Amino acid sequence: MPIKTSLARARQRIPHKEKPAAPKSSRPGPTKSQYAQAELAGQDFNSLTARSPAHSPVHESQGPNMIPLNPLFTDYPPIRDRLATASSTVQDDTVAECLPFLAGDVRTVPCNEHGVPRLDRQRHIKFLRKNLGKLPGRFVSLDASRPWLLYWCLNGLSLLGADVSDYRVDLIETARSMQNDTGGFGGGIGHDSHLACTYAMVLALAIVGGEDAYEVIDRRALWRWLCTLKQPDGGFRMAVGGEVDIRGAYCAAVLITLLNLPLDLLPGSPAWTEDGPNLFTGLGGYVRRCQTFEGGISAQPNGEAHGAYAFCALGCLAILGAPHRTFTSFLDVPRLISWLSSRQYAPEGGYSGRTNKLVDGCYSHWVGCCWPLIEASLAGPSSLMFDVNKTKNSNIDVHNLYSREGLIRYILCCAQDQSKRGGMRDKPSKSSDAYHTCYVLSGLSSAQHVTRLLASDGEGLMTHSKYDVLPYTGSPQIYDEEDRVSATDPVYFIPEGKRKDIMSYFLSKPGF
Amino acid sequence: MPPKNKGGGRAKAAEPAQQEPPKQPQTVRELEWQRYYDTNPHQKAYEELGLHGMTPADRQAYLNQEYLKPGAAKTLSNKAQKELWKQLNESNLPLRSLPRPRDSHWGRDKNGRDIGDYTIEEYGAHEAKTTKLLNLFFQSQAFKSKREKASNGDGHLVGDTVQPFTCTEDDFEREKVRRKEMADLQQDLYSVKTDPYALDPEWDDVVPIPQVEPEGALAAIAYPDEYAEAMSYLRAVMAVKEHTPRCLRLTERIISLNPAHYTVWLYRFSIVKALNIAIPDDIEWLNEVSLTYIKNYQIWNHRQLLLDHYYPTIVTSPSEVAALGDSERQFLERMLEEDAKNYHVWSYRQYLVRKLGLWDEEERQSIEALLDEDVRNNSAWSHRFFVAFSDPAHATPGSHATEPDPRVPAGVVDREVAYAQAKILLAPQNQSPWNYLKGALVKGGRKLGSVREFSEQFVTNLGGVGDAEEEVRSSHALDLLADIYKEAGEKEKADLALRRLGEKWDRIRKGYWEYRRKMLE
Repeated sequence: MPIKTSLARARQRIPHKEKPAAPKSSRPGPTKSQYAQAELAGQDFNSLTARSPAHSPVHESQGPNMIPLNPLFTDYPPIRDRLATASSTVQDDTVAECLPFLAGDVRTVPCNEHGVPRLDRQRHIKFLRKNLGKLPGRFVSLDASRPWLLYWCLNGLSLLGADVSDYRVDLIETARSMQNDTGGFGGGIGHDSHLACTYAMVLALAIVGGEDAYEVIDRRALWRWLCTLKQPDGGFRMAVGGEVDIRGAYCAAVLITLLNLPLDLLPGSPAWTEDGPNLFTGLGGYVRRCQTFEGGISAQPNGEAHGAYAFCALGCLAILGAPHRTFTSFLDVPRLISWLSSRQYAPEGGYSGRTNKLVDGCYSHWVGCCWPLIEASLAGPSSLMFDVNKTKNSNIDVHNLYSREGLIRYILCCAQDQSKRGGMRDKPSKSSDAYHTCYVLSGLSSAQHVTRLLASDGEGLMTHSKYDVLPYTGSPQIYDEEDRVSATDPVYFIPEGKRKDIMSYFLSKPGF
Repeated sequence: MPPKNKGGGRAKAAEPAQQEPPKQPQTVRELEWQRYYDTNPHQKAYEELGLHGMTPADRQAYLNQEYLKPGAAKTLSNKAQKELWKQLNESNLPLRSLPRPRDSHWGRDKNGRDIGDYTIEEYGAHEAKTTKLLNLFFQSQAFKSKREKASNGDGHLVGDTVQPFTCTEDDFEREKVRRKEMADLQQDLYSVKTDPYALDPEWDDVVPIPQVEPEGALAAIAYPDEYAEAMSYLRAVMAVKEHTPRCLRLTERIISLNPAHYTVWLYRFSIVKALNIAIPDDIEWLNEVSLTYIKNYQIWNHRQLLLDHYYPTIVTSPSEVAALGDSERQFLERMLEEDAKNYHVWSYRQYLVRKLGLWDEEERQSIEALLDEDVRNNSAWSHRFFVAFSDPAHATPGSHATEPDPRVPAGVVDREVAYAQAKILLAPQNQSPWNYLKGALVKGGRKLGSVREFSEQFVTNLGGVGDAEEEVRSSHALDLLADIYKEAGEKEKADLALRRLGEKWDRIRKGYWEYRRKMLE
């Protein structure tokens, strides 16, 4: 029998429920790491759990102008099994954790008439800027991922509309210190080159832009190094001696096309044969082998479908050719869409990364940013003459395959740290960090915009498909117009103009 | 020439002592001043009364004292010198006097306290420590020199024979103890922390390469000392591609401080290879690390590298391969007890099954145990699908996960379909076995309609209202039924199922259900 749970019953389950008059929010108690990170943000920890009266005036969501909340986002789902297991217990806990934030019961921030808090832009900017500065010793665990920190922060700042040009000079020096003569960038000074770190560093350089930044990259050495990573099965190793997985496929495809590297494979490459394969040979086939029976994509062939790898797969295929061609020739698209769609949960509204796992703000990007490419693959190339919010193929409403409202609610209500600390997070019980801030904002951008494939010049490699990313104006728009973040390139995930700049710079450059 | 003096100075100097009994000095500074005044008996009177206020005898004695400075008396004529010595003798002036103390010369200790303010006892203890440290330093230098001579093959005379210098284990141990003692003293005296590697005589030949950040480096981390030190030694040994046991230990240290450091893992594997280390030994260490850093990514690539390296050496011995399979499975089960959905553990498990050919009943039972524990563990379901349908004994190589494979035996498909159905009955709204069911049917080339009856038991009165109100116990059943009806050409029923999903049973995915409805056309 289905168990139907009303909001009333749901609320009884919430452990930290508080009375409206209580000065503190119903947020679960801070964790040890939250204390530690609060210290970084230079704040009194009390501000994480309580806000000054000035910030928590009337609960606007109870005001007369309030539009009644859709029970979809305030109730448990209509069907729930009785059998409790570890997975269902943590799932129930997560819903209980999110409901007060979704219902506007956390009386710390003003909400609009849709019960949605504002995007705290200035605090998020401050949070990201802090993460680019000197970091305390406990960040040692990120010592092999410093290029990632740079990308997360700079891309997050770009999405928030902040100027990042003041980081150009310092970034150039930082990047130089991590580049190896043998090609590529390491995770830190003196670290071996790593494909993911190289990807992140090149994107960071592209975001600050400018010839000086581009010229840091030793493209010839990078290309030679990529040749040593290319595998006979079509995929790429993440580092010499490292693992082969689908991240490598995406990162390599991004680097090759963004930097206009030659596709030729050097004879020393493990993938070299007399048939003369190139860097892209077998790459689509490799991605194809990573699709699972569930429809999603796994890190390596035959693994479990996972949101982050789905994004890598689609990004890679969208670089190999126009999505309406490559997706259909390498993937079972209906199964993929079924799986992607299953990632969105109610009442949370956010995405999970795998079947029966919990929502996490970062999948707003990994899963959320698959949709624009899926939309492009379903609609095919369209002409500029059409209204962007209507698709050529009016048969299918490709822009609304998922609930934009649900995702935006999760992001603004649950994934946003609304305290002085700022930044975005996995879920309300977790601390914000640069990684989540970047990818939650990226997901928000994708939910606030529509992407159309404009044209693609045939099947040839290296012909970059043109996309056109414009604000989504469908209703209901549950956020204020000022809270729309910037558009971003749907394949490379840097501002579109920056992507164009770096590509045209290297396209017009003869040789290395 | 100094005037004659009748010895009044001495009486004068003694006077204050009678008036107030001499204060016992409390600090070393006071002691130093006391000694100064003791050896310069007229100084105090001069300071208090001035030259003209002093008695003539005192003044004379005070001035005479100037001539006691080395060489000063020589400036006088012989006669005058004679007179001087006579007067000095009479006035009983000390022949040697201490120089005037400079209050700033004591320096400050590690806490910022002026050492001059130390009590006599404190100062004594302090002195003892500095002396000890100096002695230890000389002994340590002697050790180094002896070690160098030993490595050069130098000899020394013992009786009549020339003996080579030797540096024994004991010498090394004593040196280690000595350095520890020195480090403790330095910490105690000066708050100077000695790097653990500097404590170890084994590392004396390595010149650490510190990390130099460019000016204005972004996201620069203020490394804890121990990490910075270990890393600077790592840079030094990696620069010369040293592959020795001490480097292996160094990698262990760095991994314990930052297990995400992929470079050090890759370096470790190159050492293991170069030293031909017994792989089971490294796996033992790795197990400990894995259980400590449960979420770590690098561990699994290292384990895979180790196995790839080791496997060819045992491949001809089925018993050894089986033993390896058993021990690896045991370890993976321990890992999964900690985190049953750990992505990396499962990825490695797939690698292991393929590498060692573990497509057996035991593997399936191990998965079933996890699903009995939590039927919603999708990782376990995924692994089961892999074991069931990728077994090279009956799978077509390169068959895509979502397409039929005619080589899969009907018995396998039957078994897998039945298993998924049994698990669905436990919790019908659990998506994992539904995905599995569909996957197994497609793989086996079965019609989805073969589970129509099974799926319909979770949906009553589809589209019904009032007395025959619609009841759905699984939205996933309804999802599959939409496909089943479509397959059977019952488009309207399929459309109804999808519409009801969007309207009521799975509203968050309304856009998707609408898309599916359009796809029926």
